[in-house]
Amino acid sequence: MNCEEFQLIGLDAGTGRITSAEKAAAADHASVCAKCAALADSWEAARSELSVFAEATRTAQAPARVQMRLLQELRSQKRPHVVYRRAGIIAAWALATAAAIVGVVSWQSWRSRANTPQARASVPAVINSAQESPVSDAVLVADEDGGNFTPLPGALPIDADTGAVYEVRMQRASLGALGLPVNEEDASDWINVDLLVAEDGTPQGVRLHDDANQLASLQ
Amino acid sequence: MKVSDERDDVLLRYAAKGDETAFTELYRRHQASLYRYALRMTGSPWSAEEVVQDVFMTLIRQPKKYDADRGEVGAFLFGITRNRVMKHLERSPRELSLDEDAESGSSRQPADLLTPAFWAERHERVEQVREAVMSLPPEFREAVVLCELEELSYEEAAAKSGCPIGTIRSRLHRGRALLMARLELLRDVPRRASAGD
Repeated sequence: MNCEEFQLIGLDAGTGRITSAEKAAAADHASVCAKCAALADSWEAARSELSVFAEATRTAQAPARVQMRLLQELRSQKRPHVVYRRAGIIAAWALATAAAIVGVVSWQSWRSRANTPQARASVPAVINSAQESPVSDAVLVADEDGGNFTPLPGALPIDADTGAVYEVRMQRASLGALGLPVNEEDASDWINVDLLVAEDGTPQGVRLHDDANQLASLQ
Repeated sequence: MKVSDERDDVLLRYAAKGDETAFTELYRRHQASLYRYALRMTGSPWSAEEVVQDVFMTLIRQPKKYDADRGEVGAFLFGITRNRVMKHLERSPRELSLDEDAESGSSRQPADLLTPAFWAERHERVEQVREAVMSLPPEFREAVVLCELEELSYEEAAAKSGCPIGTIRSRLHRGRALLMARLELLRDVPRRASAGD
């Protein structure tokens, strides 16, 4: 063994990395080479120091707080997915059930309303009156019918039962704003009317109070 | 079958589904060796703690990064640890901690068996060696840590470092030489020999 070989493997003499023959060759070389012997001594001293350092850290472990943080992260990573997925499924079912209930109730309501004599009587009247534009004719129908509302131009026919009825005192000219014809001579007169207002707040029909004077003046 | 009997890859699969027991078992199996490696490489318990936490966070957040065809879970974790350590060393090559023993959880002999003088001397020696190891360039330091401190064979060290055995031997040779010089300097002892001469 020469000095170069000794430097490469001779320092492993204290380990199990080289064979016994290599260890013997290294020992032989160190016995005749002062420089390599000094190197071996120096390394042994260093190895001794290293072993102290290795011993000091041999049983080192990550602090317990690391595990706690990791478990917290694991929970936050995994649980929301499960919760969100469950919540999504439940919400979807709830929504579907609600939609089905609303559909059934609406259909039954429509069926029951369509079958009542009052509905049969009122709805066609309104529809007929709506179809009988121009507006002047509609006013006449309402007047003749007495208890029915005269649909306003452009209003959809609705039943008086589904809307709200307001008794309003207004100037006759205000009927013009609702699209009804007004006699200009009596435009400043005050009249009492019933206003049929749909659920969305839009006026749908008007009914003049049973007052011969009002009818006369309207016409 | 108990969780402790399961293989690492099985535990990882359970852990990826949120199984805390499986994750805890996996963590307990590997955290110490990874922490020791990081501690010996960085010289800082804080950095080692950060590295280990980062490694397992990666495992939690991206479990599919592990490919069983490419090796064991332990090797996968060590690979991540090594990358994190190297990045840490690039950022702060000479970061040294002054309070290692306070937080590292390193082994201590019972205080009543040791005199204060013995403990102080030992502590000083450990600090000197740690400083000497930290002074090595990262590649040489890794060879010393793996071969001398972890006492791995050249083959194992080469596999962990991802380089040929010859490279490990060469790095260890250079690392030893530098370490001896550094230790002698720290001990204030004239150099007696140099491997590089």
